[in-house]
Amino acid sequence: MALSDPPGAAAEPASEAAEGPALLAVGIDHRSAPLELRERVAFSREDSEGLLLRLMARPEVAEAYLISTCNRTEVYLRPREQERAFRAAMELAFARAPEVERDGRFWVLHDSEAARHLLAVACGLESMVLGEPEILGQVKRSAELAEAVGSCGTVVKRLLRSALQAGRRARAETEIGEGAVSLGYAVVELARHIFVGVEGRSCLVLGGGETAVLAARALVEKGVRDLRFALRGTHRHEELGQQFPGARLTTFQERYATLADCDVLIASTSADEPVIEAGELRQVMRQRRSRPLLVVDLGVPRNVGRRVGRLDNVFLHDLDSLQHLVARNLEHRRAEVPRVEAIVAEELEHFGSWYQGLAAEPLVAELQRRAERIRLQEVEGARDRFPTELQDELDRLTRSLVRKILHHPSTRLRAGGAERRLAHLELARELFQLGEGEEE
Amino acid sequence: METLAGIAPYVLLAAYALATGAYGVLFFTGRREASVWASPLLQLAVALHLAYLAWLTWRWEQFPGATVSQALTVVAFAVAIIYLFLEWLGGERASGFWLVGQVLVFQLLAVVLHEPQPPRRELFEHPIFGIHVFLALLGYAAFAVAASYGFLFLRLYRELKRSRFSVFYGKLPPLEVLERMMTGALAVGFAALTGALLDGILWVRQTSALDWQHDPMILLTFATWLLYGGALLLRRLRRWQGRQTAMASLAGLGVIVVSLVAVHTFVVGFHRSF
Repeated sequence: MALSDPPGAAAEPASEAAEGPALLAVGIDHRSAPLELRERVAFSREDSEGLLLRLMARPEVAEAYLISTCNRTEVYLRPREQERAFRAAMELAFARAPEVERDGRFWVLHDSEAARHLLAVACGLESMVLGEPEILGQVKRSAELAEAVGSCGTVVKRLLRSALQAGRRARAETEIGEGAVSLGYAVVELARHIFVGVEGRSCLVLGGGETAVLAARALVEKGVRDLRFALRGTHRHEELGQQFPGARLTTFQERYATLADCDVLIASTSADEPVIEAGELRQVMRQRRSRPLLVVDLGVPRNVGRRVGRLDNVFLHDLDSLQHLVARNLEHRRAEVPRVEAIVAEELEHFGSWYQGLAAEPLVAELQRRAERIRLQEVEGARDRFPTELQDELDRLTRSLVRKILHHPSTRLRAGGAERRLAHLELARELFQLGEGEEE
Repeated sequence: METLAGIAPYVLLAAYALATGAYGVLFFTGRREASVWASPLLQLAVALHLAYLAWLTWRWEQFPGATVSQALTVVAFAVAIIYLFLEWLGGERASGFWLVGQVLVFQLLAVVLHEPQPPRRELFEHPIFGIHVFLALLGYAAFAVAASYGFLFLRLYRELKRSRFSVFYGKLPPLEVLERMMTGALAVGFAALTGALLDGILWVRQTSALDWQHDPMILLTFATWLLYGGALLLRRLRRWQGRQTAMASLAGLGVIVVSLVAVHTFVVGFHRSF
């Protein structure tokens, strides 16, 4: 959830030891800023690389990550000093649009909220079209860039791994990305419920208007093999030819004959009267041996006679029914939000546990060093009592003993909740007299 | 041995319940893990069931169809193997819940009506007669499966026609797949029933014990065979498409059920003479 905090709030992070790593996220998105502003602070791949390098050149920034799409530009920092890191992000990332800061069109998030936001972004919860799948790829590509530049270290790298994992799980375990939520893809979805895949199918488009082109493009993207346009005039032939290089043009008069071997018909002409009538289509269906035909009427007024829908194996859908389908799918996606949020919370908890486990590392390392030193002392003292051929075996055996004895305590020190881990660390310090200088 | 005979139906019931659960999770949630587990669980249940039927045949030295419980467990087995074949044919599992659920119901009824000591019936000791009964049950089970797919087909067909999208829409496979699975079940049923009729003729010629021209069960089976043969022929000639075939499948099953009930109500014995 994007929170709009005043910039001054950046100076008061949560306690790093108790909660998680100090993080700072500054960004704008489709909720906080209009497109006119977003496009001015959008970063190409080259620009992103430059920005990350400039951020890393600042001493107050330890790690940095940037995601920039048409709907958002967000900078994630692991700051050494919160206020100065915030200033660095504002100066470097949003310098091209000063009104972002002046009009408060940005948001700032700290620590676990910043981490949660990145995970939610990867799951599509923050997208303009809820659950859209492209964002996961964009997060991944940005992560690869940050890694290539060298701007993400241990913490941000692990955070990105959690974000990608959450995004993948959201898609695999919930239906947040299911169902078409645009008119073009609603046509594809309907076709997929009738035919075994749309790949290799053929489609006739009557008219070359904007809506028809959107639907045709969605079908072509999903693998429609044979696309044909039938236009009443010739003025758009060239333009359509450029947009759809593989498409064929046919005359409007031949539309019924062409339909005999098509699977999908999209009608979107500006005609005042229906251009597809039930009587003629009945003849076509006989030629087709009644193979199913999906008819999508995108015209206003409608291009397809109402009685067409009554023909056997003809599935007629108009703008209203497509919009009804889109609304239903959006509703379905919204119902999945709590399940996705649960995944985000779970992955965030894993991230927090991992980070807290880092605090135990110095102590675990010291414990292992001390045990190794004791082992070496004891082995050296006893070496004379063993024949030469057993020396290696003695080493192997004692090393294995130490490793096995320390395995469980080391695991326990790294795992568990924050409070429990602190108690364990204290106990380990006391029991093994760790952190009190070198042993005699 | 007696203990095994007692617990085996329950083990099968549990195995089918697990498989139904996995297919249910797949249908309602679309979880990938369920997709991975559903088919192997059903295959395991079918393998156990096959072993159980083989053991019953060996134990009682007769085909396990002498009691209602045995006939029901054979029907459950038949529906399960037909579904597995259709799953392989259609390459999809989304409709499995509705079919494997039926298997579970048949097996549950078999458990409820289970008789530890089935009566000995000489007829069932004869292999030709055993094959005849199995093929007939397989045929009827396949027609029931075809009717189930017919129902799912018509449901999705109507939703797509009327633009009213319920929970079925989005969960079921495309119409073309449902049609393919329905036709596959019809073909299996027709082939099995043809086999049952041919086997029955062989049996009658060997025993001469049956007045087949006046046996309502034989006439009913022959009428069913003609009905479904006609439906398949019309499909072959491309006069019928999915909707007509789906309606014929449902009507055919209705005719079978009503006729079987009528024959059992008004005629003594499964066939007139036994």
